[in-house]
Amino acid sequence: MKKILAIVMVALLMLAMIAACNGDDNGNGGNGGNGNGGNGGDTPSGGVAKDDIKIGVVHIGPLADQGYTFNHDLGARTMISNLGLRENQYIPKFDVGVDPANVTAAINELVQEGCHIIFATSFSHGFQMIEVAREQPDIVFAHATGDLAHSGDAPPNLHNYFAKIHQARYLAGIAAGLRTETNVLGYVAAHPFAEVISGFTAFYLGALSVNPDVTMEVIYINSWGDPPLEQQVATRLIELGADVIAQHSDSATPALAAQEHGAWHVGYNNDMREAAPDASMLSPRIDWSIYMTFAVKSVIDGTKIPPDWGEGLSSGAAFITGLNDAIVAPGTDAAIEAARNDIINNNMMIFKGHLKDKDGNNAKITDFDGNVIFEFTDDNSFFAESSTKSAPSFNAIIAGINIIS
Amino acid sequence: MDSGDLLLESRKQRVEIMDIDILTNFFFMAVIAATPLLFGTLGEILTQKSGSINLGVEGMMFMGASIGLSASYFYEFYAGDGTIGYVALGLAVIFGFLAGALGGFIYSVLTVTFRANQNVTGLALTIFGIGVGNLVGDLLSTHAQGFTSSTEATRRVVANVGIPILRDIPILGRMLFSYNIMVYFVIVVAILLMWFFNKTRVGLNLRAVGENPATADAVGINVTRYKYIAASIGGGICGLGGMVISMVDNSGTWVFNCVAGRGWIAVALVIFAAWKPSRAIFGAVLFGGLSVLRLYFPIEGVPAQVYDIVPYAATILALVLTSIRRSKENAQPKACGTNYFREER
Repeated sequence: MKKILAIVMVALLMLAMIAACNGDDNGNGGNGGNGNGGNGGDTPSGGVAKDDIKIGVVHIGPLADQGYTFNHDLGARTMISNLGLRENQYIPKFDVGVDPANVTAAINELVQEGCHIIFATSFSHGFQMIEVAREQPDIVFAHATGDLAHSGDAPPNLHNYFAKIHQARYLAGIAAGLRTETNVLGYVAAHPFAEVISGFTAFYLGALSVNPDVTMEVIYINSWGDPPLEQQVATRLIELGADVIAQHSDSATPALAAQEHGAWHVGYNNDMREAAPDASMLSPRIDWSIYMTFAVKSVIDGTKIPPDWGEGLSSGAAFITGLNDAIVAPGTDAAIEAARNDIINNNMMIFKGHLKDKDGNNAKITDFDGNVIFEFTDDNSFFAESSTKSAPSFNAIIAGINIIS
Repeated sequence: MDSGDLLLESRKQRVEIMDIDILTNFFFMAVIAATPLLFGTLGEILTQKSGSINLGVEGMMFMGASIGLSASYFYEFYAGDGTIGYVALGLAVIFGFLAGALGGFIYSVLTVTFRANQNVTGLALTIFGIGVGNLVGDLLSTHAQGFTSSTEATRRVVANVGIPILRDIPILGRMLFSYNIMVYFVIVVAILLMWFFNKTRVGLNLRAVGENPATADAVGINVTRYKYIAASIGGGICGLGGMVISMVDNSGTWVFNCVAGRGWIAVALVIFAAWKPSRAIFGAVLFGGLSVLRLYFPIEGVPAQVYDIVPYAATILALVLTSIRRSKENAQPKACGTNYFREER
C-alpha cells in the first residue's frame, strides 16, 4: 500500500514538474486541434493561403529569459500581427538548446505539424537544419546568425538571416565613450567568435570616435549566458578600472553588477533600465520581426527569399532602445543621431581606416580555416561587414582592446 | 528616503576597489561567490547527518530563490515608498527558508514515510524545484512587466556595507569586515551547526540516527521525527542559498536559471568538507575562489574549460584522500542512502 502511495506521490511530483516546465508553452498545446492545412501540395513557389500558413520557430532558450529568446519571440509575434495572422499559426518550440538530437527532433516536430516555414534562432542549430532542409525541399527554412546557406552545397530552401547589429553597437559605443571617466570600458563577451568580436569591436570603435583615449578590457564567458559568471566578469572588469560595462551575453546580471558598483552599462536584447535604473544607459537590440515578416510574406506570396539577409539601422532591423536621458553624458543623443545619419544616409562603414592589432601590424580578417580574407592596409581600407553574408565576419582583435581571458 | 546616496557611495566604492590589490579583490569575490554555496552545503550536511542523501539541493535553492524573492517583491509592491529594507529582507529569509523546507519536507514524505529511493527522489526534487523556481520567477517578471527590482531601501540593506569602523582597517577590513549581512549570517549558521552537532544532546541523537537508526530507535529516539526535521530544516537552509542569489547577488531581479548548477557544487562540497561545517566554510571559499580564478589569474594558452574542471577535480581528489585515510571521523554517516524499516530489524 505504501509503495503504491509512494509511486503516486512521485508521479504527482513529476506531473507538477511537467506543468511547471510547460508554463510558457501554453500557446503550443492549443495547436494540436488544427487540421493539417495542406502541406505537401503547397510548394513555396506556388504560395500558401494566408489562413493556412503555419510558422514554426525553434528557440534556443525559454521565453522567460528576458533576453535573446524573449526578443526573438517578440519578433515572431510582431510578424503575426503585422501580417494579420492568427496567433495559433505561430508554433514555437522553446528551450530546445543546442543538443543535436533535441534540435533535430524539434525541427522534425515542426515539419510534422505541417509548418510551411521554419525558423531556427541559434547558430548551433544550423547543422541539423541543413540536413532536414535537404529532406524537405518543399518547406522553407530560415536560420538566424548562421552562414551555411552561403556554402556551395546548401539546399536552395535554406536561408540565413541576421541584423547588422554592429551598427547599433557602434552607436552604443558613442554613449560609452562620452560617459566614461576612467577611459576604460569593460565588455562581457560570449564566445571568441566573429559574431561577438565584430560586435565588441564596433562598440569600441564607436567609443573611440568620440573619445580618442578610450581602451577596452574583454573577458569571455564561453557560453551565450551564465548569470553568475556574467556578474563576476562584470565585477572583475570594474575592478580593472572599467566604468562602463557592455555585454554580449544573455542575462541582466552585468547590469546589476554595474548598478551595484556605481558603473554605467550598455545592455543587449532588452531594455534593462528597470533592473539597473542608475546604470543602464541604452541597449543595442535586434528587431527580428522585420525579417520574419518579410520571409513569411514571401512564402504566402510565393516569391523568392534571398539566401542571405542582413539589414541594419536603415530598416530598423538593428536599433538602440531605452536611452536613459538621466544618466548619459550631455550631447549623447545628438552624437548618436549624427552617426546614425552617417551610417544610413552617407553609407558610413564601421570597420574602416588603417586598423592595427596590438603589435602594430595591419588588422586581418580570417575565415574559419585561418585564411586571410581581408587586410586593413591603409587609411582608405574599409570592410563592409555583413554585406556579402549576413553572419558577421570581422574577427580581428585591434589595438586598444585587451582580451584578458 | 535619501535616494542617490547609495549611488554616490557605490561610485566611491568603485573608485576605491580599483586601487585594491588583486589578491584582496580575489578573496573578496571568492567569499561573495561562496555564500550561496555554503548555505547549500550546510543544509545538505544537516540532512545527511540524519542519514538522508537529498540530491535536490539545486531544486530547493531554486525554490528558495524565487519564493523568497516573491515575498520581498510583493511586500515592496504593497508598501511602496514606505518599504523598510530589513522587513523586505526578513520576509525573503523567512519565505526562502520555508520554500526550501517544503522541498525537504516533500523529500521526507517520499523517502521516510513511503521509503522511495533517496537518489531518485532527490533527482526528481531537483527537476521539480528548477521548474517551480523558474515558473514563479517568470510569473514575477510578468507581474512586473519586465524585470523585477528591489527598492533602494532594500538594496541598501543587502549591499556590501560591512561592519562600521572595522571595515576601515587596511586590507583586513576589506577581506573580513566589508561584506553584506548574509555573509555573516551564513557564518553564524555554520557555527551554530558545529555547536549543535558536537555539543548538544539532540545533535548527538541526530548523528546516531544517521549512523545507525536501528540502535537509535532501540534507545528510544524517534527516528522518523529526527529525519523529517533534519531534512526540512536542511532544505530550508539550502533555500536560503537560493534566496541570497536572487535577493543579494542579483539585487531583487529575477534572472532566469540564476542558480545555474551551484546546488550541485554544494553537494560536492559536502563530500569535500567531510560533513563538517567548519571545513565547509573553508571549502566554500576555496570553491568560490576556484570559480573566479580565471578572471584574476588567467594563464595564456590555458582554456577556460580547464579552470572549470578544477573544483570537480578537487572534489574527486578529496574523495580519494578521505577514502584512503579511512577515517571514521571524516566519513559519510553510515545510514546515508538506505531507508530505515523498523520491521526489518
